[in-house]
Amino acid sequence: MDNIGRRTFVRGATAGALAFTVGGVEVLLLPSEARAQKVPLKILSADEALRLEAVSETLVPGARDAGIAHFIDQQCSVPPHEALLGIRINNARPPFVNFYRAALNAIDTACQAQHGKPFAQLTAQEQTAFIGTMRVGKHPDWKGPPPQGAIYGAFRADAVDVVYGTVEGFEKLGVPYMALVAPKARW
Amino acid sequence: MATQEKVDVAIVGAGPSGAIFADVLARAGKKVVVLEFGPDWDYKQFVSSEIWGRRIKHAPPFQSTGRNPSGHGSNAGWGTGGAMIHFFANWPRMAPVDFKVKSQYGKGLDWPISYDDLLPWFDRAADDIGVSGNAQAERRWYPVGKDYPMPPLKSFKQGDIFNEAFAKHGYPLAPMPVAINSTEYKGRPACVNCGWCHVGCASGAHGTPLVSHLRDARARGAQVRPFSYVTRVLTNQSGDRVTGVEYYDAKREQHVQPAGVVVLAAYAAETPRIMFNSATDRHPKGLANKNELVGKYLMCHTAANVWALFDEDVQNYMGTQANQFMSYEHYDNKTRPSKGFGSIFLRTGAAMKPNVGLASARPDLFGAPLADFMKRAARGLTRIGIFGEQMPLLENRVELASDKDEFGLPIARITHSYDADAIGSWEYGREEAFAIAKAANPKEVWRGGGPGTAHLIGGTIMGTDASNSVTNSYGQTHELANLYIAGAGLFPTEGSVNPTNTIMAVTLRGAEHMAKNFSTIAS
Ligand SMILES: Cc1cc2nc3c(=O)[nH]c(=O)nc-3n(C[C@H](O)[C@H](O)[C@H](O)COP(=O)(O)OP(=O)(O)OC[C@H]3O[C@@H](n4cnc5c(N)ncnc54)[C@H](O)[C@@H]3O)c2cc1C
Ligand code: SF4
Repeated sequence: MDNIGRRTFVRGATAGALAFTVGGVEVLLLPSEARAQKVPLKILSADEALRLEAVSETLVPGARDAGIAHFIDQQCSVPPHEALLGIRINNARPPFVNFYRAALNAIDTACQAQHGKPFAQLTAQEQTAFIGTMRVGKHPDWKGPPPQGAIYGAFRADAVDVVYGTVEGFEKLGVPYMALVAPKARW
Repeated sequence: MATQEKVDVAIVGAGPSGAIFADVLARAGKKVVVLEFGPDWDYKQFVSSEIWGRRIKHAPPFQSTGRNPSGHGSNAGWGTGGAMIHFFANWPRMAPVDFKVKSQYGKGLDWPISYDDLLPWFDRAADDIGVSGNAQAERRWYPVGKDYPMPPLKSFKQGDIFNEAFAKHGYPLAPMPVAINSTEYKGRPACVNCGWCHVGCASGAHGTPLVSHLRDARARGAQVRPFSYVTRVLTNQSGDRVTGVEYYDAKREQHVQPAGVVVLAAYAAETPRIMFNSATDRHPKGLANKNELVGKYLMCHTAANVWALFDEDVQNYMGTQANQFMSYEHYDNKTRPSKGFGSIFLRTGAAMKPNVGLASARPDLFGAPLADFMKRAARGLTRIGIFGEQMPLLENRVELASDKDEFGLPIARITHSYDADAIGSWEYGREEAFAIAKAANPKEVWRGGGPGTAHLIGGTIMGTDASNSVTNSYGQTHELANLYIAGAGLFPTEGSVNPTNTIMAVTLRGAEHMAKNFSTIAS
């Protein structure tokens, strides 16, 4: 630890902040703070945000409160080459929101066919079973694209990002963050 | 369309390959322009975050197909420094046997040069970027010229925990040579083991072009133009010389950059794409492609992980993304009846951050079981990584897709599949690593999925003449004396080690040769 002891360890909630517009002014907030402050969404509708939160929370507990909907909304609103979404690296073509919309629609279409209601209205047990089947690409009559496995991987990675990829996330796991440069600047 | 003033050398791509050409040619007094598709990075601004780290990754659009599609998007570089600004800094070298696979085993291809031809250039690369390691420990496997400039990095329990098990299983370890400073080096600080190398090291301890060749090239007058997207190499009317390149700037305005020599250093997918898109009446199949070998013999390394979860704290949250230990034992023995063909390379001991490192170890988990796993893995998870070799096959290739980019030019389609030899050695390597990891008595041990596709190699291979290759051993194309290619695209075989040390050695050799013979090469 001697080397590390010399570094400034990042504390507090700035690391992981994104630029959100509140009352016409751009402020840096964590996605969780943006959600708590009900910062208006730029691209996703309120209904899309709820559906996204339901899937993400099933994948990674804590994703809803960590602000997954605000994170995706903000990342879909920046110029595509600046987006920090895993799907950009995995060769998705912008606009990235199309991927999320198509994925949510495919999920709800399959849920309607199987349960007669959308994903967000399933019981927790049903939601877990649905995601388990989606992970292995086994929902019959899937109306993709995107394919089931790709949605599982991308939504899970985003949710893992907001829950575990911030200073708060590291603290939750009890490991030091050890930033050389803390993510305070606009991303 | 604006025509720029003519330069001696126009280089496409500001990764390590392009940066070396820029540095060597600028040092030789040549007027150099580097055209780079991405931004101009300042490493001091790199943010320590895996989320932010995606900001420095990007690739021009491409299609990936085949049984094992290449994950090109996460291998490609973008912006000054190329992929090296976020590479893991492992610095092994291809071994002597890798350069004569065909003559020794009757499979694959031979290089037109030997390991000995590259030996002095490995030394030069180590001096240029700063390498930490123990050359003496490696000499049991291959000749190493000079000792490395710095001693090995400090090790942590995440790697130390396997030492005994490796030895018992017949795989003696050596410290991994790494392009990271273990001490202060040429005005750059020593590493502080924070583990953020893969999102860009803000301290300068990470040996990248931003703190070596590119910085030096600029100091010697080379001009670097970020956000310059090269679409074509231009040729003269008779088709026997290149005359420059065509590119779009950040405002999407088109330019022509006339040049005496053009160096394509845009990585193994984009370089062939640019060559195809540069087709003319004289070069109907693309530049330097009369023999139809451009884009062919593409290779990836089979990538595998064996994961081990311990109850104790293995210090996985610190250290570097570079591995601490490696083994070349049995590397020379590429033949294993019924267990594939090709070398395997075992590595262990690297830092892991939660959202990418830990969560990717169990991609099957979600919900409460994932949350529980993350807690246990945060201090207890480590792994052994294995790369395996793939032989060069004609059917693995880059070609043009029917899809176009925003400027109406066809994008690259990468077709990649592993054959039975590669799959066999991937399985073999994974089983060897599994047995070793198990012998270290972790609470849980499991095999990761795969085979993954690490790195992109080949596609514009070097050889003895135009009957078997696109370029000579310096990267000069057989058909156009003033068109050069730089990077792993030149490799006829890949061994099973990370490529960048060998890329640098090959590139330094090619660039110095160009500098010495410039008057006979340039238009
Ligand atoms: C996550 C990761 C970890 C790695 N870890 C290791 C490791 O531990 N050890 C190791 O040896 N190697 C490692 N590598 C590989 C290493 O980074 C590459 O071998 C090296 O960067 C290749 O150098 P290059 O200059 O040939 O290509 P690149 O670094 O890819 O640079 C090519 C440049 O060309 C530019 N370009 C592309 N198309 C155009 C165009 N049309 N016009 C203008 N410019 C263009 C790109 O933007 C890019 O900057 C790693 C790579 C990745 C992605
Ligand atoms: S571990 Fe070392 S090389 Fe990596 S980011 Fe930290 S200081 Fe830089």
